[in-house]
Amino acid sequence: MSAFYCRIRLIRGSILVILIFLISCPLFSQNLSDPQKEREDIFIARIKQFNEFADRFNLKSDFNGNPADSAFRAKMPRERMIPLLFDLKDPRIQTSDTRYSADYVRIKEEFVRDVIQKKLFLYKYSQGIIAEARSRVIFQGEPQKIRLFLIQEIVGDDMVKWVLYSAKGDMLNVFKTDTSMVRFIPPSSNETDFINLKRALEDTDHLQYYASHNFEPDYLTLFFSYIGAGLIKFEYVEEVVYHIIDIPGWYIKVKDFNRTDLNSGWLITDVMKNDLELPAFIKIP
Amino acid sequence: MDYMPKRILITLAILFVSLCVTAQETKTAITSKQAKITDEINLSAADIELFKQQTKQKVEEFQQYIVTLGSKDEPAEKRNMAEKEALKLFYKGAEMEITTILPDGTVQKVNRPMEKYLARLKSLPFTKVIIKFYDIAYIREFTKGPDGKYYSTATIIQEFTGFSNDDIIYTDVTKKEVEIIIDIVEDTFFQEKRWKIFLGDIKATETKTAVS
Repeated sequence: MSAFYCRIRLIRGSILVILIFLISCPLFSQNLSDPQKEREDIFIARIKQFNEFADRFNLKSDFNGNPADSAFRAKMPRERMIPLLFDLKDPRIQTSDTRYSADYVRIKEEFVRDVIQKKLFLYKYSQGIIAEARSRVIFQGEPQKIRLFLIQEIVGDDMVKWVLYSAKGDMLNVFKTDTSMVRFIPPSSNETDFINLKRALEDTDHLQYYASHNFEPDYLTLFFSYIGAGLIKFEYVEEVVYHIIDIPGWYIKVKDFNRTDLNSGWLITDVMKNDLELPAFIKIP
Repeated sequence: MDYMPKRILITLAILFVSLCVTAQETKTAITSKQAKITDEINLSAADIELFKQQTKQKVEEFQQYIVTLGSKDEPAEKRNMAEKEALKLFYKGAEMEITTILPDGTVQKVNRPMEKYLARLKSLPFTKVIIKFYDIAYIREFTKGPDGKYYSTATIIQEFTGFSNDDIIYTDVTKKEVEIIIDIVEDTFFQEKRWKIFLGDIKATETKTAVS
């Protein structure tokens, strides 16, 4: 009996491989309208977790989440799999759309070629995988958005945890730019025991001008201090987006597309060339 | 002549002491704080694979309890028992987060402790509940956390239909991400420690509403 079900699953799996391959053909995807079975096929095809995205990227698992065997690899090699990990509804790849971008299509194709030819894989626990938790907070009684960036840290030999790495948000931009006047602590101030320090520190919006030219605000510390002081109350994470700089020479952005479509779930929504390491990358606004 | 037995005795004594020390160390490792345990005890790959299979059963068990406690046609005792048993599946402090995507695309989330979620489900006005399980469950591999527990997430998709008598009054299709935790528990009956699967936080996202 179980052998029978295994066979059924195998046949279904094969049909699904063909179906998923065909979704890259717009004419076919528009005519996919088999009711109940279609929904199940969509759920199987859907990339349900980020972990599943990584497994499909590395061709480690089949559409059912089982280890990819040689038969599956033959039917769905990386040449076919990787393009299907992109958001196929991206207007930049639709020739009929006004937002079509030949440059983006070229970059996308180059990325796919590079990944396959150079056999580039995604290491799941890489620090080059940055999870951006787009979150809702209450700041001074008002709901506001904040972007928290988390990376994975390996503890000991085999233990893993996510850690907060950075934060970005309007409420953290405490410094205002003003070039209309030159702000500084005069060279002879030391002789007066820095009497003018009080005046400088009362210029609360522009304190950065009184700091060293190497000064870089640490927004995560600021966020923590706001939380500690009760100025920010964390509500919830609205959405998670992954920024991946683990693939040499490339940056990809992965987000969850919650739609009733074979091309749904965690998909690549952007690809760019990149040579920045994590500390420099995180500084990009 | 009597030198030899003395040497043997000393050797045996040293061996005994060293065995006691080893046993003590092992015992300490097992019974002290969980963080300490993690350094000493690991699940084998085969164990983890077995737990992965058991995860699906645990999740299905939870779904069955939801069906029972959501159906007002079921006797109150049975529903209360289902609520109690369902809670036993969870790790202490587990929460249910329900995500609703509003027509304008904005996301609204409500978090409830699992106890409150289940109690609320019991009070919903359904005479009967049907949960259709899709034969799809994605379970990611277990990863060890710094506290020594093993963590995974199972994704399930279910179609929930609530009836009032014979009328469908609510139906939705949700995708649920269920946190799975494997932790060491003490079996008081057998007086031993063993690994056990618990369900943790659940994130539920509506994928498609059929009737509302």
